[in-house]
Amino acid sequence: MISPEELVGEEWAEWYRLSPLERWRESEKLWELYFHFGGSLDIESDTQSPFFDSRTPSTRSANGRPGVRVLRRGRV
Amino acid sequence: MGGQACVFYGAAEFSRDTDLALLASSENLARLNEALSELKAEVIAVPPFEAKYLRKGHAVHFRCHHAEAIGMRIDVMSKMRGVDSFQRLWPRRTTISVGKTPVDLMSLPDLVQAKKTQRDKDWPMLRRLVEVNYFANRKKPTREQIRFWFLELRTPELLVELVSARKGLPAVIIRKRPLLKLVRDGNESAIAAALDDEEKLEREADREYWKPLKRELESLRHSRSSQTKD
Repeated sequence: MISPEELVGEEWAEWYRLSPLERWRESEKLWELYFHFGGSLDIESDTQSPFFDSRTPSTRSANGRPGVRVLRRGRV
Repeated sequence: MGGQACVFYGAAEFSRDTDLALLASSENLARLNEALSELKAEVIAVPPFEAKYLRKGHAVHFRCHHAEAIGMRIDVMSKMRGVDSFQRLWPRRTTISVGKTPVDLMSLPDLVQAKKTQRDKDWPMLRRLVEVNYFANRKKPTREQIRFWFLELRTPELLVELVSARKGLPAVIIRKRPLLKLVRDGNESAIAAALDDEEKLEREADREYWKPLKRELESLRHSRSSQTKD
């Protein structure tokens, strides 16, 4: 029998092995962290979505989320 | 029916909107309207929040302004390409309890159908959703699970394993999914190529399905912008 590790690697296999409710709870932790770092609920544009309309207003500020700034950046 | 359902069933999506599938009855829409008012949700973009658009297959998009859900997007649909009617989806749903609140999720096979879209991001998700179900249940599967894997697994190695572990492939299943004929030979590259073709066909079917709906959306946008100018 093929193991999840062989197919998708350790990290994904660990996620696969969780029960549905454990995955739900892990996802809640990620959400908490995301909000802690100032994450916004405003969604990214998905140009492949049939609903995509570049004219839809976004609440996202032009330079990213308030309070989050780029302090250092590479050239690319 | 979207990101959180994917998390529950095994894929990992960080979706910031909430997708709701509902029966577009006037009673239901009135209830939804009440809930949306509590969330201070406004319709963004087109179409407007009317049953006729939902019944045609459009999604209505909202943004919430309540302090505890500020900026949250809610998409409401009642009809999806390739997915059964709401009346059929409802008895198959999974219900979980989040705190003390029951949350109804689309069943896994229905979610898989809903994810067969034209978007790149849905296809790896779909593959993972079925893989997780396969790994979790392959030692003691039900007939329904075996049928689901025959029809929906998108991983060549697992398709080969599944077919070799079964005595035969029912003809009715092969008719529904012709690429299974290749699985018997165990040629994984050929299976992968056939899976790609299967995906291309679905994506094309989704684009075709959306063509008239997109035209209607464009016309609604046009009339809305004309009204704004007047």
